Amino acid sequence: MAKVAMTVNGKAVALELEDRTLLVDALRDALGLTGTHVGCDSTQCGCCTVHLDGRSVKSCSMLAPQADGRAILTIEGLAGIEGPGSGDALHPVQQAFTECHALQCGFCTPGMIMAAAGLLAENPAPTEEEIVHALEGNLCRCTGYVNIVSAVQRAAELMRG
Amino acid sequence: MRPLVYRRAASLAEAERLLAEHPAATLLAGGMTLIPTLKLRLARPSHVVDIARLAELRGIDGKDGRLTVGAATTHAEVAGAVAVRRAIPALAELAAGIGDPQVRNAGTLGGSVANNDPAADYPAAVLALDATIETNRRTIPAAEFLVGMFATALAPGEIVLRVGFAMPERAAYRKFAHPASGYAMAGVFVAEHRDGVRVAVTGAGPGAFRWREAEAALAKRFNAGSLAGLEPDASGLNADIHASAEYRANLAGVMARRAVAAIQ
Amino acid sequence: MRKPVWPPLARERVHFVGQPVAAVIAESAAAAADAAELVQIEYRDLAPVTTLADALREGAPQLHAEAPGNLAFDFESGDAAAAEAAFAKAAHVSRLTLRSQRLVGNPMEPRACAASHDAGTAIYTIYTPTQGVNGMRGALSALTNVPRERLRIVAQDVGGSFGIRSPAYPEHAVVMAAAKRLGRPVKWVGTRSEVFLGDNQGRALELTGELALDATGRILALRWDHVANLGAYATPFGAWVGTRNLTVTMGGVYRIPVLYGRARCVYTNTAPVSAYRGAGRPDIAFAIERLIEYAAAEHGLDPIEFRRRNFVPAEAMPYKTANGTVYDSGDFAAVMDDALARAGHAGFAARRAEAAARGKLRGIGVAAYLEAAGAGAAPKDQVRGRFGADGFLTVWTLTQSGGQGHETTFAEIVASGLGVPIERVRIRASDPEADLVGSGVGGSRSLAGCGSACRVLADRIVEQARPFAAEALEAAPEDLEYARGAFTIKGTGRAIGLFALAERLAGPTPHPLDALGEGTFGATFPNGCHVAEVEIDPDTGATRIVRYTAVDDIGTVVSPALARGQVHGGVVQGAGQVFGEQAIYAPDSGQLLTASFADYPMPRAGIIERFDVHPHPVPTGTNVLGAKGVGESGCSGSLPALANAVLDALRPLGIATLDLPFTPARLWEAIAAARGRALSRRAHAPQV
Ligand SMILES: Cc1cc2nc3c(=O)[nH]c(=O)nc-3n(C[C@H](O)[C@H](O)[C@H](O)COP(=O)(O)OP(=O)(O)OC[C@H]3O[C@@H](n4cnc5c(N)ncnc54)[C@H](O)[C@@H]3O)c2cc1C
Ligand code: FES
Ligand code: FES
Repeated sequence: MAKVAMTVNGKAVALELEDRTLLVDALRDALGLTGTHVGCDSTQCGCCTVHLDGRSVKSCSMLAPQADGRAILTIEGLAGIEGPGSGDALHPVQQAFTECHALQCGFCTPGMIMAAAGLLAENPAPTEEEIVHALEGNLCRCTGYVNIVSAVQRAAELMRG
Repeated sequence: MRPLVYRRAASLAEAERLLAEHPAATLLAGGMTLIPTLKLRLARPSHVVDIARLAELRGIDGKDGRLTVGAATTHAEVAGAVAVRRAIPALAELAAGIGDPQVRNAGTLGGSVANNDPAADYPAAVLALDATIETNRRTIPAAEFLVGMFATALAPGEIVLRVGFAMPERAAYRKFAHPASGYAMAGVFVAEHRDGVRVAVTGAGPGAFRWREAEAALAKRFNAGSLAGLEPDASGLNADIHASAEYRANLAGVMARRAVAAIQ
Repeated sequence: MRKPVWPPLARERVHFVGQPVAAVIAESAAAAADAAELVQIEYRDLAPVTTLADALREGAPQLHAEAPGNLAFDFESGDAAAAEAAFAKAAHVSRLTLRSQRLVGNPMEPRACAASHDAGTAIYTIYTPTQGVNGMRGALSALTNVPRERLRIVAQDVGGSFGIRSPAYPEHAVVMAAAKRLGRPVKWVGTRSEVFLGDNQGRALELTGELALDATGRILALRWDHVANLGAYATPFGAWVGTRNLTVTMGGVYRIPVLYGRARCVYTNTAPVSAYRGAGRPDIAFAIERLIEYAAAEHGLDPIEFRRRNFVPAEAMPYKTANGTVYDSGDFAAVMDDALARAGHAGFAARRAEAAARGKLRGIGVAAYLEAAGAGAAPKDQVRGRFGADGFLTVWTLTQSGGQGHETTFAEIVASGLGVPIERVRIRASDPEADLVGSGVGGSRSLAGCGSACRVLADRIVEQARPFAAEALEAAPEDLEYARGAFTIKGTGRAIGLFALAERLAGPTPHPLDALGEGTFGATFPNGCHVAEVEIDPDTGATRIVRYTAVDDIGTVVSPALARGQVHGGVVQGAGQVFGEQAIYAPDSGQLLTASFADYPMPRAGIIERFDVHPHPVPTGTNVLGAKGVGESGCSGSLPALANAVLDALRPLGIATLDLPFTPARLWEAIAAARGRALSRRAHAPQV
């Protein structure tokens, strides 16, 4: 068994898990954070995207012990990103996804939003081409991506104020 | 995934010791190749030894015409590093085109070269930039390091510490991505060094290779036109459900011309 | 029809790679997977058949004793003799075989189910994402022999469906049996690998069309010969796709005096085929519009004028086709003109020339599609409205949204019908206790069916409330008028709001204003014209979709944003099929070679660079909303529009037809061969 101490959405958590536990399973099963989804078993769909020390990663392709000592942000914590876990208000990317009808079934959405938030943290004013490039690791079967790309542009606008 | 023991090495020495103690142990860096393999139960290591945070495997340094990059440097770090962008912009560009942002935030240079996937991008740079692979035991020249499909000269217990690339006069990498996996269907790294031109092709064959014919043509005149009509011999290239060997040969020619055109 | 039994776990013979053979139940998924590795199965290899050609070959290995020649059945629609006569006197004939390759549906949420069994009542409770609880109850009952009344199905959020979630699957039955045996809830969550191998797949059709024309370019007859690959077993929808859905609109938007279609459904050692977004309708739309374009080129006709000359004119509506389908409404010429104008069709030649100057092959593709929607399996559609103590009107429905946004659309319909704020209306879908008659999601019919019932519900509630309002206002019912959510005594200011009235009447359930909205709503014919513009890089075979214009007559539009989203999604799924998706089984081993996202290219962000969507509504009279349906039309439009665009780009090279998918490798090979390069080996042939 492995002891894993990490910060999840601003709160310190300590878990004892089988060494082989994937980070996504630790989040979903041990911590009940089921907003992070699993859409594949080959690291390609991006449904499981979370931030690890501020950068987007696929939580299905990391062992939970690899995250020991690190800070994880999931979709559940995104809204309170300013003061983690606090606000009820939507994060600008969530707000933009709602405004632009950027989700249909919603299964890809948490991963899309985390990937988009990861992009905007590094590049506050991405071009359409940069947005498309940044979403290469995220699949959506419903929306045709048109409104997702618009939502990321809108989010950038909202974040610039 | 089968049961296994996870160990994070606190130092290079500890990593070496863990590998020595557990013959069925595997190194874990970014995990972007290893973890998917473990999830599909295609490998059965007893232990995984995490080396991603080792200080000995980090750092980017340019001097004496060579750029040295630590094995645990992620693709995103290579893509973003000012030192790389200055010394070998083509290498930064190559790293920026690997997989997707999430993969680039985790996957490492060392993991990529140690894995030597025949469709991976770095092997083309390793060959074209006359790289040396420095391990905990020795320094291996590129041509000796990449021995074949998913195979390298690394011995059991050997750890890649850093890779040193020769800084070229000018260079470019062009890749035609596989429509599903994003790996290279054909990727060509063209580098003009003071002592000659190197052209390396990845994705098209069973392993990355230097394309001597193209090198010779470019040595005469460094111009995309010099490569007109040139393709590597298709007979040694990959053919599968996605594409024929002839298509891959053609792509290698096209990507080479585009790389040259980009730096001309 | 010869229909072999599909056992939940294979007995004696495994008929396709991916068919469940054994189940391991454990306390955790990891433990179950560890244990599954210990299961030893001895297989003796049999020769597989994976393609239609293989299966129909003389002496081919036989899958099922019940189905000699691997043929499930041979189906006919229309008049064969009349077709023969028409072809005999035709001035021109064009013939084209089209393949709609096998696809994997791949909703982003893999299949899953959890079941528990109550030993006291013998009732199973099954949580599973599905397209409608009623349909799933019937399907599961048929699979397990458990009576419907003992199946309580709960569907909550559904991560996309696209057709693959309507049938019951072996895993449902296994989980139920395990839950009963163990007396504990049992859960199964599929992986993506299991989606690839075990979900019902889509398309897998070969369509051969023949068009007979007179000397002026008028269509005299259209004849089809289809072969459908059912996979290893017949799913409830597999044969429906290959027969009814291919023939009901087999003449498309054209006035064709004689129609004839034959369809054979064939078993192969591959995953069973079921409905996948459009379920045969995109395939026939694709085949018609490819054939039209092909015939125009073959006989030197302008494809636009050729279409216009043969459209069913708006004045001819309602129009009964030669095989008996009645199109109630549509203005195909106006829709096409609208699309051509918006797509800048007239200026295309200049854009083509500009692209040629950059060394690129640019093409434009037009598709005037039509599909049948609206018809459901149930005899009628019901929804129930209940006024709760919480101050909300809750509407129970049977259709389960998998992302279509029913919660919004249906609430909008009820709220606007009642003139109340949408916030006061709640939609509850797929409640196991709902006790309603109606169809689930499928055939793009939710709005026409369930949505219409919601509209009827609003009227019913008003009528039911009128006497109570009269009592409350101390007036005669006929003196009341209802508007903006309230009854008012005509000519006075005295009024009572619907919810105020409901609150007044609150007490024992059922609430006196609770009502049932119901009706039988007929088939609809969504149609439209899509125009695609592509640019092919002849050096690599890569295609960019530089512009896409969709003009759709989906009837009355209730929620424009949601409708646009459906078109986006449908068109891009079609683009996925046109440019890359394909399931390929190895002919010698029957192994699925494209069993992960690393080998099966899914469309990604940016696939369409400029995308314009415009409704062009011609309301239908077959339901109270006038809505025709939009869920699948995107695929019906984009398959032919994109394919026509690619072939338009290739036409100058002398390429008249090419099999899907248009992967870079296939396009490059076609271009290289057309330019005289000798190729030793071609890329993999498409599989159907
Ligand atoms: C969706 C996806 C897309 C991808 N696309 C591309 C692409 O387009 N191009 C491309 O080139 N790659 C691609 N990759 C692969 C990616 O670049 C990986 O990061 C890389 O192949 C392995 O690096 P890693 O750090 O993740 O290694 P790991 O997965 O941790 O390890 C891989 C192997 O290398 C060994 N190893 C790791 N580090 C060392 C070391 N320092 N010394 C000795 N042995 C070591 C490990 O034991 C293991 O056997 C993709 C991966 C994914 C999941
Ligand atoms: S679940 Fe992590 S990438 Fe698909
Ligand atoms: S909204 Fe359904 S997968 Fe993206």
